[in-house]
Amino acid sequence: MALISLMILVPLLGAIIAFLTKTRQQARAVALIASVIPLVISLFLFTYFNRGVTAIQFYEAYPWIQSLGISLSFGIDGVSLPLVLLSTIIIPLTVIFAWGETEQANKFYGLILLELVGVLGVFTSLDFFVFYIFWEVVLIPMYFLISIWGGPRKDYAAIKFFIYTHVASLVMLLAIFTLYFNAFQVSGVLNFDMQYLLKSYSLIGSPLLKDVVFLGLLFGFLVKMPAVPFHTWLPDAHVEAPTAGSVILAALLLKMGGYGLFRVILPTLPFTASTGLLITLMAVIGVVSILYGTFLALAQRDLKKMVAYSSISHMGYVTLGAAALVPLSISGAMFQQFSHGLITGVLFMSCGVIQHSAGTRIIHELGGLAKHMPKLALVMMAGFMASLGLPGMSGFVAEFLVLVNSYFTLPTFVILALFSIVFTAAYHLWAMQRAMFGAYNEKLGHIHDGANYEIFAMGVLVLLVIYFGLNPGSVLNMMTANAEHLDRLLRFAVLRGVIT
Amino acid sequence: MFSDYAALIVLLPVLAFVLTLFFGKKFPSGGAALPIAAIAGSFIISFGIFLEIYPHGTVQQSMQWFSTLNFGILIDPLAVVMLMMVSFVSLLIHIYAVGYMSHDTGKPRYFAETSLFTAAMLAVVLSDNILQFFMAWEVVGLCSYLLIGFWFHKPTAAAAAKKAFLVTRVGDVLFLAGIVLLYVNMTNILANTGFSLEPGNFMLQFKSMFAAIPYIAPTQLTIITLLFFGGAVGKSGQFPLHGWLPDAMEGPTTVSALIHAATMVTAGVYLVARTFPMFVEAPNALLVVAYVGGFTALFAATMGLVMNDIKRVLAYSTVSQLGYMMLALGTAGMVLGAKAVGISMFHLLSHAFFKALLFLCAGSVIHAVGTNDLREMGGLFGKMKITATTMFIAALALGGFGIPGLHIGTAGFFSKDAIIEGAYEYGHVTGDMIPYVFSIIAALLTSIYIFRLWFMAFSGKPRQDRHAHESPKVMTIPLIILALFALFFGFSQAGFYGYLETNFELMGVEIGVHEGEALHPSTLILWLPIIVGVLGLVISYLIYNRRILDMSRIVTRRNPVYQILLNRYYEPRLSSYVIGEKLTHGVVAMSGEFFDRKIIDGLVIDNIISRTLLSLGDVIKKLQTGVVRNYASVTLLGVGLLIILLRIGGM
Repeated sequence: MALISLMILVPLLGAIIAFLTKTRQQARAVALIASVIPLVISLFLFTYFNRGVTAIQFYEAYPWIQSLGISLSFGIDGVSLPLVLLSTIIIPLTVIFAWGETEQANKFYGLILLELVGVLGVFTSLDFFVFYIFWEVVLIPMYFLISIWGGPRKDYAAIKFFIYTHVASLVMLLAIFTLYFNAFQVSGVLNFDMQYLLKSYSLIGSPLLKDVVFLGLLFGFLVKMPAVPFHTWLPDAHVEAPTAGSVILAALLLKMGGYGLFRVILPTLPFTASTGLLITLMAVIGVVSILYGTFLALAQRDLKKMVAYSSISHMGYVTLGAAALVPLSISGAMFQQFSHGLITGVLFMSCGVIQHSAGTRIIHELGGLAKHMPKLALVMMAGFMASLGLPGMSGFVAEFLVLVNSYFTLPTFVILALFSIVFTAAYHLWAMQRAMFGAYNEKLGHIHDGANYEIFAMGVLVLLVIYFGLNPGSVLNMMTANAEHLDRLLRFAVLRGVIT
Repeated sequence: MFSDYAALIVLLPVLAFVLTLFFGKKFPSGGAALPIAAIAGSFIISFGIFLEIYPHGTVQQSMQWFSTLNFGILIDPLAVVMLMMVSFVSLLIHIYAVGYMSHDTGKPRYFAETSLFTAAMLAVVLSDNILQFFMAWEVVGLCSYLLIGFWFHKPTAAAAAKKAFLVTRVGDVLFLAGIVLLYVNMTNILANTGFSLEPGNFMLQFKSMFAAIPYIAPTQLTIITLLFFGGAVGKSGQFPLHGWLPDAMEGPTTVSALIHAATMVTAGVYLVARTFPMFVEAPNALLVVAYVGGFTALFAATMGLVMNDIKRVLAYSTVSQLGYMMLALGTAGMVLGAKAVGISMFHLLSHAFFKALLFLCAGSVIHAVGTNDLREMGGLFGKMKITATTMFIAALALGGFGIPGLHIGTAGFFSKDAIIEGAYEYGHVTGDMIPYVFSIIAALLTSIYIFRLWFMAFSGKPRQDRHAHESPKVMTIPLIILALFALFFGFSQAGFYGYLETNFELMGVEIGVHEGEALHPSTLILWLPIIVGVLGLVISYLIYNRRILDMSRIVTRRNPVYQILLNRYYEPRLSSYVIGEKLTHGVVAMSGEFFDRKIIDGLVIDNIISRTLLSLGDVIKKLQTGVVRNYASVTLLGVGLLIILLRIGGM
């Protein structure tokens, strides 16, 4: 059963058909069908996935450029499946949310489907070269989504987004090539297989080169997440991007960075020349991202920009949990990726509805919207509560796991991170108070509530956030085996005396 | 039989919440019927369980959540009395609200939220582990936020809701930090000492925590308990996190009644009572509890003296009374051991009855005259006899009126005197009389402010032409029921203490009950609380009824003491303006923003990357316009670099 390649090919085919459609009704119908089929497949994978083993499952491989050792090989494990599931949930809901899109609808929906192709490819590729190609494939549709359907400063934002992430990709590519040629020098075999190359990392001779390669990979992923100080492309991209673009960017594209941490960084981390130092570096970046994102969110006037900074803050938990290298902190960080994808979708959709209805997202120009937008107020409140870590919702479980378990290895960093919790609540509530509550700002004129399809998409996400908040085990139990495996690598490193 | 359905105590109101929120308009009286029925169900089950487990039984149910964590139910004497009180008082408030909220268009939302509020509080009470306790505790916070801001179109209500959430959040973070520290300690002692969990037990369950106490290092235990207490300070409005509670009266009065009596502020006291075996082993933490409680009792009472808003007087009264409960846990905890939990919880329950009554009476008055301002009331006794009488009873209970020698008195008499006696005993044993002195002065002030309120509202001539009228029966009947409890609940004292004394032994924790060393307080000590209570009543009568003193000469702008009290020790200004607006937003956030825009973006990105690469882009644009070209060129640049690098690498 070539389930994974089917899951990637359907949206690719759908994208081509969508480009060729003449009316927006046709385009969106194609987009919905071509994004729901992958969802069905990923639900199947989710159901029949063998939990408790670290091995790759649903493996499939096709030869491609054999002379260079490149093959189209795909598979999933506990690290990738939650993100595959997340991608196939987010894209159909984004299509539903953007059901009313009128401007060049065929291209719009086609590009959204291409995003699905890209992220699924990234999360399932087992060949480093193919992984890189998909990594780049994701960039291009997003670039167009911003530069065609974007806001007033879309050119600046699109180019900034492009340059930033592209430079990061190139640095990462250089690191990958170094791994590739190093493995070739050692074994005489040309092979881009990801597991093979990662295992060969420890065979790099020069300690300096080891760290340089590691930092190159790390840089590539941290920019994508994004982590402070490589984050400034994100707020600009979000401010200018259309809502659907923002949702995909925040919910899926950022997760590629985090995925890289678990897939590439953690397996190599114990074998670097200066592991202790690099762990500290990652922990610092994680905690600084948490705090910095929080305080910057507090300073924002634009609701969407505030949400963008909150993403930076929440993704900091991923870095922190990964750096702590405790099985449950790693699981928690992986769960944070999944959870944040769902939650941030609600937040950006809320911003989109407000922008569409009130014509502005500047917080102090809003006010009292809840009076005329009760449905939006309900789902938005739920999303904001999830985002500020209310127990019973998925974000709490993730952050609790990261904080508690990181304390074993990084106590000081956890105490610092705890400080952010009050301020995280502060900017969320402040925004709610100014934008949604208080007296209605009559300057806004007559406004209407979100459309039913918009509220539906957000409502589904809210329900999922609550479901996974009460029943996190259904996703966590996929991750546990892999997280423990990564932890064993660390213990191995401790035995070798690399770190204490 | 009832024990099998213990989970329904929480699930019924949750179900009512969901149904009322989405379909409330289709149900009778704006959706009130479902929550009332659900909470009545919760009360019946709680009462049934009480009958089943009395006197020495418990209900324990537990299931794995994930990893080492669990969801579970623990109903022991401590929990069951609390369950009955919460569901009963909440039920009465819900019934009352049918009348009070009858004209409000947002009824479905109101009743949905109060139903969830009650459910969350009940979930706090019957949690068998600290994490679930925390989770429900946070949902309580959410509901209070939603309900304080119920009239969200009022800017003051929106601001008060936010303040309540954020200030209690400060406490919550401390509480969470305590849980983190506890979890880490538990994991370490499980790995490194002979301590192990019994089969079927989970790590963060209360019984596991208590069993682990001997293995936890004393300093760690002190820190953990202090962090827990930090959570309690936030939730129970103790100094310095008390400021949100008086502001919380921006919500409907029925919400205030819920918050102050049944569903929220008592959670903090309950947390300390619940984890009391840990506090007993950390005497330094107990001392902090005693002092924070004692100070808060006095501090809040001083502000209650000068407030003109009827609900705000009551709010400070709550803060003050919660201080008494903390004081009891702290002082009596050190000299009487487990008995302290009974003393504190007894006051918690008796306070719940008379404070709910006070708020509902205030609501009845506000409903009738349309203002919160005491200065615009007066002479209402003739028009609202039931409200006035029941409120007087509540005031007597709050003032602690009764006759010491004969064991006759209001609920507050029994419950508060026991606390003051406990503080005295603590002073007698340790020589530290400060908590006792605090509690006596606070008792005097309590009596003054509550009778000031009563005389200003009900006595004298009507100060304005208002067509006040008694409230409908749906509102007055709950008042009468609560008044009966305020009068007679105190007589259950001995049975109550006996029931709760063995609470922790049921979980296998031996705290020990000290009977005090044959302490025979002198007659003066026995009578002092009631003497100061009567004194307060007389003072208020003379000033606010007989008017022997011209208050307008004391209550002036020039009187610095009055100004400090009226401005609430400048706490609102400090927390919202100085800390919130200036320090956090103005200094930290805005300098971060400056750094982000001007340094990272301005100096680094825009200058280095944009200028060089965008000018490169311009060059290429002159050849061929279009972004794809740009992309291609950048990619080409990358590949070129790669080739050069590989050449250098010797490939």
